[in-house]
Amino acid sequence: MAQRRLMMGTALAAPLLARAAVAQAPAPAAPATAPGFYRFKLGQFTVTTIYDGFRIMPVQGLVRNAPLEEVQAVLAESFLGPTDYRNIYAVTIVDTGRDLVVFDTGNGPQAPGATLGRLLATMPAAGLDPARVSTVVISHFHGDHINGLITAEGGAAFPNAEVVVPTREWAWWTEAGNETRSPPGQRPNFANTARRFAPYAGKIRQLTDGAEAVPGIRMHAAEGHSPGHTIWHIADGAAELVYLADITHRPELIARRPDYETLFDFDGAAGAATRRRVLDRMAADRVRVTGFHFPFPATGFILREAQGFRFVPADWG
Amino acid sequence: MTIARRIALAAPAVIIAAQVMPALAQAPAAAPAGQAPGFYRFKVGGWTITTVHDGFFRRPLEGFVRNAPIAEVQGILAENFMATDTLAVPFTITFAQKDATLVVFDAGNGVTPAAATNGKMIGNMAAAGIDPARVTHVIQSHFHGDHINGLLNAANAAAFPNAEIIVPAAEWAWWSEASNESRSPEGQRPQFANVPRRFAPYQGKIRQIAAGVEVLPGITSIAAYGHTPGHTLYRIADGNEQMIFVADITNRPEFMMRRPEWQIVFDFDGDMAAASRRRVLDMLATDRIRVTGYHFPFPANGYVARHVSAGVQGFIFVPAEWSSAV
Repeated sequence: MAQRRLMMGTALAAPLLARAAVAQAPAPAAPATAPGFYRFKLGQFTVTTIYDGFRIMPVQGLVRNAPLEEVQAVLAESFLGPTDYRNIYAVTIVDTGRDLVVFDTGNGPQAPGATLGRLLATMPAAGLDPARVSTVVISHFHGDHINGLITAEGGAAFPNAEVVVPTREWAWWTEAGNETRSPPGQRPNFANTARRFAPYAGKIRQLTDGAEAVPGIRMHAAEGHSPGHTIWHIADGAAELVYLADITHRPELIARRPDYETLFDFDGAAGAATRRRVLDRMAADRVRVTGFHFPFPATGFILREAQGFRFVPADWG
Repeated sequence: MTIARRIALAAPAVIIAAQVMPALAQAPAAAPAGQAPGFYRFKVGGWTITTVHDGFFRRPLEGFVRNAPIAEVQGILAENFMATDTLAVPFTITFAQKDATLVVFDAGNGVTPAAATNGKMIGNMAAAGIDPARVTHVIQSHFHGDHINGLLNAANAAAFPNAEIIVPAAEWAWWSEASNESRSPEGQRPQFANVPRRFAPYQGKIRQIAAGVEVLPGITSIAAYGHTPGHTLYRIADGNEQMIFVADITNRPEFMMRRPEWQIVFDFDGDMAAASRRRVLDMLATDRIRVTGYHFPFPANGYVARHVSAGVQGFIFVPAEWSSAV
């Protein structure tokens, strides 16, 4: 029946077919993938997350206090592989109207073709100019968070920005006497800290627990992962967001097993206790979060589940 | 010796340069650009898969699930941090390209009014570098309007002028036989008029296919009837790698995977749809196959895992990781 009804459409179709044949042309090169940014509103604030890329590392050795097979089983539940762990990085940027604030700076300058260190290259695609950044907030001083303070030439990547740092984090990594009291894997941070903050001399402001970096953005101590690790509460009126920094590494693994300690932790036991406290609060308050090592676009919510917590990505829109 | 002091020694030249330059760079703050373009790309063997966002349509939650109390539906939505008064139904179209073959699975909502929240596929295709004139095959899962309306462009001509249209024979048979109209649920009857209109410009270029056949090299049809009389999924394979476009095997997975027995307002035969859903989800969870879904949260690709809640054995959707590397 519809066959017959469809026949009546033939007159319409004929000119189209003729035109179509002409339209054939060599395939243009399609862009590899969409630019790595994502945007949402928080009250009158605009939040953008930027993908800084990824680095593949072994699953083996990642978690210090659980058997490898157990870690692999948790990863498999999230369809993540048993041998290669993809360390991912996402930078949170908040435009409050008054201030343009970047939270941590990613991996910074890299060799050509690197899969990480993409923040500066991606910001223009998101309509963001590094020279317009007024404030860089640093959650803690591990390399993947501070290396992007400088450009490939060694200058300031955010030339007009004030850099806000946690007082306790600054105190630890700027006192050479602490080096022997730090885990061996963390000792390079002493030299790296000096190097990365160098172009910002005179523009660095230390902040204590509970203080505001700029209006609407407040620091909260969440120590353990590093001596002065912090998370940041961002609010405009009733709308709120918490930047969780490294409260977990990938949430598919560490939110679900909050007592796991990773090779990146300065004080694993303290980090785990802080993690439980913070995730419990996020789940109870149902507050939106972003995280530095969360799957891109790295924003969503924390839900309690049997043995820990689950990261629930926010709906893309 | 503090770092501050070391820093002061280290870099004065750089600092001066950095501070002079920025003063010139100051300019009025540009309004932030909009959202990133809605497309995402990954590989399945030699296939390049692109998912393209077609926007969303927000409707009342009331009446959406036909066989569960609304409070139960709201409970599961709330667990997923979703609104509980309205439901935003998203649309994402799956493209598969290999060599000279460029397939689109379903055609999207097509041309919509400028203010509409759906009908974003055309713009997002352009952003993804996909030219509709280069599409070689349109493969339809079923004939609901949100899947076939995009067969037409703004001039009511063929939106994919060089494409062959591949349709499930069971779906074609039902909607092209006028006497089935009175045997269809009332809400589905407009399809009888919409189907001939949308397929009209493709006369002579429509191929009907059976279930369980290779419709193109590497692409196989899988019957999953119920949501509509001929609702069909497609397996896309190359070598050892595969994925399945699961079309409307669920509406939003956040609640329809958790409770596969729920039936929705768009189901033609709700019981049959639920049976197909449980069978397919069970297979996907066992085989751990990557999927794309038409109403999945963008970028609409991931996996299905078993999940028990409130004593009900259901499933959850696990989004695949976003990556800058295709």
